[in-house]
Amino acid sequence: MSLNLSYQGVNKIFNDKTKAAVHALRDVSFTVNPGELFCLLGPSGCGKTTLLRSTAGLETITSGKIMYGDTDITTIPPFRRNIGMVFQSFALYPHMNIFENVAYGLRVRKVPEAEVKRKVTEVMELVGLQDELKRNPSPMGLSGGQQQRVAIARALVYDPDILLLDEPLANLDAKLRRYMRAEIRRIQKRTNITTLFVTHDQEEAMAIGDRLAVLKLGVVEQIGTSDELYNKPENAFVSNFIGKMNFFSGQIEGSCDSARINGRPIIVSVDHEKNRSDGMPGTKVLIGARPEQMEVSSLASSNSIEGKVGIIQHLGQFIRYEVTVPCNVSEKTMEIDMPQLVPGIKEGDEVFISIKSGKGFFFPQEVSVNEQ
Amino acid sequence: MSNKKPRMKGKDITPFLVFFLPMLFLCIFLFWPLLNTLLRAFMKMGSKFSLDNLSLQGFKRIFTMPIYLSSLKNSFIVGISVTVLSLLIGVPMGYCVARVRIPGKKMILSLGILPVIMPSFIGAFSWIILLGRQGTLRAALNWMLGPLGLQIPSIYGLGGIIFCMTMTYYPFVFLLAEGAFGAANALLEDSAMLMGASRAHIMRTITLPLILPSLGAASLLVFIRAIGNFGIPAILGGETYVLPTLIYFRINGFWDLNGAASIAVVNVIITGTVLYLQKRLVSKRQYEVVSSARSQIRQHENKGARIFASIFCFIVLVTSLLPQITIVIMSFFTKWTGLFPEGFTLNNYLRIPKNSGHEFFNSMFLSLVATFLTAILGSLVAYITERRKPKGAAVLDMAIMAPFVLPGTVVSVALISAFHNNGIIALGGTYTIIIISYMIRRTPYVYRSVVASLTQLNPSLEEASTIAGAHWIYTFRRVSVPLILPGIISGSILTFSTLLQELSTTILLYGAKTRTVPIQIYSAVNEGLLGQASALSVILLLIVFIITYISNHSGKASLSAGLKMG
Repeated sequence: MSLNLSYQGVNKIFNDKTKAAVHALRDVSFTVNPGELFCLLGPSGCGKTTLLRSTAGLETITSGKIMYGDTDITTIPPFRRNIGMVFQSFALYPHMNIFENVAYGLRVRKVPEAEVKRKVTEVMELVGLQDELKRNPSPMGLSGGQQQRVAIARALVYDPDILLLDEPLANLDAKLRRYMRAEIRRIQKRTNITTLFVTHDQEEAMAIGDRLAVLKLGVVEQIGTSDELYNKPENAFVSNFIGKMNFFSGQIEGSCDSARINGRPIIVSVDHEKNRSDGMPGTKVLIGARPEQMEVSSLASSNSIEGKVGIIQHLGQFIRYEVTVPCNVSEKTMEIDMPQLVPGIKEGDEVFISIKSGKGFFFPQEVSVNEQ
Repeated sequence: MSNKKPRMKGKDITPFLVFFLPMLFLCIFLFWPLLNTLLRAFMKMGSKFSLDNLSLQGFKRIFTMPIYLSSLKNSFIVGISVTVLSLLIGVPMGYCVARVRIPGKKMILSLGILPVIMPSFIGAFSWIILLGRQGTLRAALNWMLGPLGLQIPSIYGLGGIIFCMTMTYYPFVFLLAEGAFGAANALLEDSAMLMGASRAHIMRTITLPLILPSLGAASLLVFIRAIGNFGIPAILGGETYVLPTLIYFRINGFWDLNGAASIAVVNVIITGTVLYLQKRLVSKRQYEVVSSARSQIRQHENKGARIFASIFCFIVLVTSLLPQITIVIMSFFTKWTGLFPEGFTLNNYLRIPKNSGHEFFNSMFLSLVATFLTAILGSLVAYITERRKPKGAAVLDMAIMAPFVLPGTVVSVALISAFHNNGIIALGGTYTIIIISYMIRRTPYVYRSVVASLTQLNPSLEEASTIAGAHWIYTFRRVSVPLILPGIISGSILTFSTLLQELSTTILLYGAKTRTVPIQIYSAVNEGLLGQASALSVILLLIVFIITYISNHSGKASLSAGLKMG
């Protein structure tokens, strides 16, 4: 049974003489529950891979503690940590067949031959490669998905306490990626090993993770389930990183759950406790709305803003309208998803957009909004 | 962790213990001798090695005494002429093979490498047979040119040295130029052509600028080899000295170590300056010219161009291969002073087991042991600099590569200078000192080859092993070594085949017990026993050729790739 994995005030500063020091992790503290599949999500350079490699012991943290259960593992060398890791490149050994690749960790541990056979067979069944094991080819002859399974099997075979996955799906094509992420979740739940999963793909993280941590420039911005992050983002960065968010500039008006869009007599209100602003009336805020929380219409209404349709994309379940609005309202092109084509609207038309009543988010104005 | 108690906290010190020995070796036998030589260069002539005897006398002599001055001048003339001539021959030939449709391209490429594989001093004495005072080819040419009042001078002297070295070293330029012309991205030229550029314009504005870095590297290699070469000027020079032969002369004739050290330092300064200039001029212009999507390079189909290219390549190739053919013929005769060789005999070969058995044993033994140790040393040091990236890795890299550009005689001088009168190692004609000098000179071959393999090896392969619980040594043995083995093997083969022919270092270090085959060939030539020298050379060449052939046909190890690494 796995124990919990916790980070206490972890800092990592890369000191390269030729370059300026990089503060890759800043006071990172959180706990991963036993048996949890936990995703580290963020744009490149956010520190997610550094945190993963520090957990493995491949990087030494500058300050703070990494605990597994009650054991401080911060200074234990990587080869004594009993961790399984799947690399982005899979890192399979081209000079060994797949049996020897998977058996590697057992050979290191000097496990008796009969036991090696049994454990390798068992784990290859778990990842669905029992047929390939009979042929036992070199891993270089396998498909990407099969190599991925070998890599997972190799990481699991010696019953590690923690499983680390470093962008394991990045080298697979789109369709296989979606299939393998379900597979990884199935295998993780079967083995119930505390797992860290690093990715820059928010869709992947939301689909696979029990909980997610969103990182930006070495700082944990928010931790929560997919649902919490999507529906109750704590800041503009998270809201636009987990799913798409359209932003308007505005200020709080009257009570703290309504705001006025700059220069317009339009009041936007929110109904979630979490999504309110705690500012006084008149405080500048960013008003956010997800594409499906907005509407496009050829007719003006009391709370609509005029704009111009750029591109209309048919994306299957919905139609995405890109609409540019006057720049005092927002600097960016809006993305609005409608369940079906709106009759009479073509690319280049003047249209009216609005936020559905009660939907929307308020964020402090000063936070810069990073595109993914 | 949960099921295992951590046995040790803190840093793992085993790597440092394992790496201590190679580092110690380099400090004692490379860094100290080089430093020692540098200091000794400032000692008064004939004085003891002591800081009380500092003086600039050694350098003063170089720039005042005629024999020194002329050697310095000769070295410059030889270095520059050989580089220019090699470019003039190698670049057009490379272009012809890469860009003109001519028959037998593969054969030209594989025969083209032969002059480089052959020891240069063997080439030198074959040219004596052909163009010496009584040389057969010279006699024939003079007979033809006689009515015109022209005469071919004998091969001895500066002109002969330059000619012989050019024929030896042009393949470096040819092979690199051929590779660059062949690998250039055809799309770049195609697009220039679509924009309306003429062929000559494309050549001037696209093709040549793109291969310039390759040509720069090739010229540098040729220049460094040319001014460091000992064998050719030793055999063809006569009274004409260049720096390496002058060093030999100072030590062998006068045991003037301090003087030899001064010459060595000047020699190294020249090499260093040229290296520096090349870095400044060329490395700023490195381009990515090799494209992954290789479209076919346009070939000249024009009949005139094809005939001209074929003839040109044929003449160069035959000329550069004449020495090989000559020594094979010569090895079956006693004398070759007229148009035809005289006195057919098998004695030159039959005598070898009795007269040269010991020398062959020495050559094999010294080369094998040195190669084995070099492989270990080179791989370990490559692993340290590439994977551990210690502080000062760049300095370490330079120090290890230094012997690659140092003339062999300089390395010998450094070793003699550091160890000739102290008790650390016995110098007097031991196997040890020769093996050490071989290791110092050839470590760069293995080192570069292994560094190249390591840079292509994704570090996550090693990390995966560490995380799976393997100790550093286990990872090195089971993962790193098997995966860099091709690099180790190709470096070792290059090391072994070049050590078998080593002359310039050995000649200052050998004793009666440790004579090698190249030394015996060299003395036979000096005694005028060309038949014997030829037979020995043929055997030596056969061995080298077989090794090269096997390594080229058994997978990744490639000699030409190894030669390019310079």
